Amino acid sequence: MADRPDVVIRVEGLVKDFRPGFFRTRRVLHGVSFEVRRGEVFGFVGPNGAGKTTTLKTLMGLIRPTAGTAQVLGRDVRETEFRRHVGFLPEAPYFYDYLTGAEFLRFYARVCGVAGRAREGRIDTLLAAVGLAHARDARLRTYSKGMLQRVGIAQALVHDPQVVFLDEPMSGLDPVGRKEIRDLILKLQEEGKTVFMSTHILSDVEMLCDRVAIIANGRIRYEGSPHPLLDEGEEADLVMTGIAAELGEELASRYGSRLRGIGERVELRLPQKDVADVLRRALAEGAELVSVTPHRASLESIFLDAIEEKAE
Amino acid sequence: MNSLRRIVAIAHNTLREAVRNRVLYALLFFAVALIGTGVLLSTLSYVERERILQDVGLGAIRVFGVLLAIFVGIGLVHREVDRRTIFTILSKPISRSEFLVGKYLGLVLTLWLQIGIMALVFVAVSFGAGAPIGAGHAAAMFLIGVEVAVVVAVALLFSSFSTPMLAAFFTGSVWLIGHLTRDLRARGAHSDSEGTRRVTEWLYHTLPDLEAFDLTLHASHQLPLAASDLWLPLGYGFGYAALLLLGATLLFQRRDFR
Repeated sequence: MADRPDVVIRVEGLVKDFRPGFFRTRRVLHGVSFEVRRGEVFGFVGPNGAGKTTTLKTLMGLIRPTAGTAQVLGRDVRETEFRRHVGFLPEAPYFYDYLTGAEFLRFYARVCGVAGRAREGRIDTLLAAVGLAHARDARLRTYSKGMLQRVGIAQALVHDPQVVFLDEPMSGLDPVGRKEIRDLILKLQEEGKTVFMSTHILSDVEMLCDRVAIIANGRIRYEGSPHPLLDEGEEADLVMTGIAAELGEELASRYGSRLRGIGERVELRLPQKDVADVLRRALAEGAELVSVTPHRASLESIFLDAIEEKAE
Repeated sequence: MNSLRRIVAIAHNTLREAVRNRVLYALLFFAVALIGTGVLLSTLSYVERERILQDVGLGAIRVFGVLLAIFVGIGLVHREVDRRTIFTILSKPISRSEFLVGKYLGLVLTLWLQIGIMALVFVAVSFGAGAPIGAGHAAAMFLIGVEVAVVVAVALLFSSFSTPMLAAFFTGSVWLIGHLTRDLRARGAHSDSEGTRRVTEWLYHTLPDLEAFDLTLHASHQLPLAASDLWLPLGYGFGYAALLLLGATLLFQRRDFR
């Protein structure tokens, strides 16, 4: 594959085997390949156990690949120096709880080689950006889960990296905290940074990501825009009364178990693109509309569909 | 230069963790109390009271120094993995060897600090009891510091590939055998069995000769010391520790952090 300057993360044929026993081998990544371009927010989506964290840890040099290559900013992930330009927030992070927020960031800044003069200013700016200026001198053991998540994001940014890897960044956050992190991710993108975000929350993908890759059972099932995925997954619940028998039979044969009749009342779940046609015809034939409710399928259901499609 | 800065940052954080750990203060309290009990034990004897006092004191410093080295040393890396703090550290521009060396130096500095505190108590107790203090005592405590540095490296090596319990067992065993290899070798040399001679010789050359760091006899009897009594064990100790660290680094490089 030719090198393209806009590609900042390139993963090709990544394979990882773990050895749960002395003679047993379990393959968790089966030739994973994808690319992330400069300046985009990239969603790495999949259910638990799909291989998201293993891929992320391989990119961070925490896990050694069995086969395949992984590059960040054109450098092999087994090297060390490129990480000067990379920030990482692990899933459900746990930090040195005997440190205060400021000491914690100072420690990581020193490890990253941030010079003394710039360091203190950077720490104050970051603590303010993640809403923790008030907890600057409090020990991390007194922080709530949400505060830990936010200080974790601050440590990922302490050396002003070009690429930021976030593993489930919204986990453990309340709605206000989630919005703050979403705004922060968008701000990072405005600053020209590339954000690689592992998540299983579809609404985050929709709101934040320019492109996504879906991983299941250690294989990439989809790579591209998140919107076709959402469109395919969007459905609506239609509730009507007084529907004509002929139309009822036709809908039953078309939508099968998705049509449920309770007395006079008929409930139907159908793709949003079909709603207008069905509704127009039903109303013309004397039916009465009770409600139309947009229904968004969960990532898991879309995902299961994708797996079934592949299997077929 | 950057590498040194990173190692210093890790070492500083390790030292800070220990300073803020109350369990270590409790252990230090027991060590200080044991040095103090030397005064009581010495009153049980009519002869050489000062020597008993100081032998107990130096013994307490050695045993507590080594116990701390083993029990903190085996958890040094394991705690980072168990608490998942290693994920964020190793995602920074720091190599695994820099991390390991930084952790090692941080713990050795912590233990030296504790030995320093115990040494001050030892000196105070000796002065209180009217026991003489000389260069021999300083040399003995200096070499206890070197012995502890070797034991930390042993603990780090074992903890880089085994569980903390096993690492504690292995390190404790190496420490015990390390104090016996000289005697074993001397006895083995007089054995009729060629196999015994070879095994005791092999043990002596493979395991650390920890008796090389014991100057208690010199200190309590105020025997004269040559410079080589310090420099040779010092070179041997740090050379041995460096080899162990190299081994630990090689094993650590191969690990996956899941």
